Amino acid sequence: MSVRVRVRNAETGSTVDMELEEENTVQEIIEGAAGYWEKDAGAYVIRKGKKLLRGQQTVLEASITHSDDLELIPDPEGG
Amino acid sequence: MTPTILGGRQPDIENRPPPPKERTTEHKWLVEPGQRNSPDPEPGCKPLYISKIAEEKMRNHAASKVHERLEVMGLMLGQVFIHEGVEYTMVRDVATTDLDASSTRVRFRRDGFEKLFASLDDIGFDHIVAGWYHSHPGHGVFMSPTDVDTQKVMFSSSFHRAVVIDPINKEIGAYRLGRIDVEPVPFAIYWEEHQNPYYGTSVRKRALSD
Repeated sequence: MSVRVRVRNAETGSTVDMELEEENTVQEIIEGAAGYWEKDAGAYVIRKGKKLLRGQQTVLEASITHSDDLELIPDPEGG
Repeated sequence: MTPTILGGRQPDIENRPPPPKERTTEHKWLVEPGQRNSPDPEPGCKPLYISKIAEEKMRNHAASKVHERLEVMGLMLGQVFIHEGVEYTMVRDVATTDLDASSTRVRFRRDGFEKLFASLDDIGFDHIVAGWYHSHPGHGVFMSPTDVDTQKVMFSSSFHRAVVIDPINKEIGAYRLGRIDVEPVPFAIYWEEHQNPYYGTSVRKRALSD
């Protein structure tokens, strides 16, 4: 069964709507959203509410459901 | 099967005048050429305005790790506006969390993200992550190769900014990604009508969660 979610880019406020399958992984969601905004997927994490979603979790395991709002958050490094 | 992209939306940028000159001032720690006593570019707005609350939080955060000589880092939260055709960034607040830090490197701790998310949710206004700040304790203000990579990878939009603070040498600088590399940008500290003016001569204790 597929679910539709909205991913917000925290850096710009832009959003993208995505259709996911239960077996899709969180990493695939990050790659899809980052790719849409031409960003490096490795530089971001994604959250659902206050919860950090782990890359290898599937949509089912991460309890992502229809109409969920997710947010792509930068993971910067300073030196 | 990879996720299917159904479509996206980009927010409009609101037209709004910058804070009035009588409620802005220059930072006392400016050292970058072109940042001190810089005239406002036409039509009278700077590329970056930082609220006194955000500035005090960043400076306090940097100062809190001076004795350990550890870098600190956080996200700058704010909005982008246009005034007479010119885009500018307003940083109203900041958010951070537990860090993996040394005297030359800093990142968010993996187990600190949920604390960061709680801080983001506690911000009482619509915001974007308008940039990031970090400290160089005793090393001066500049954008290191690691900092430049971060700016290019994550903060590459025209309105994204970086702030670097050296709390030991009392230096501060703001930067953006230019056509080729990062470049310093003029900025001002502003305060709201109901607030006392910003003097910047001492650091008022202000918790990151205030």
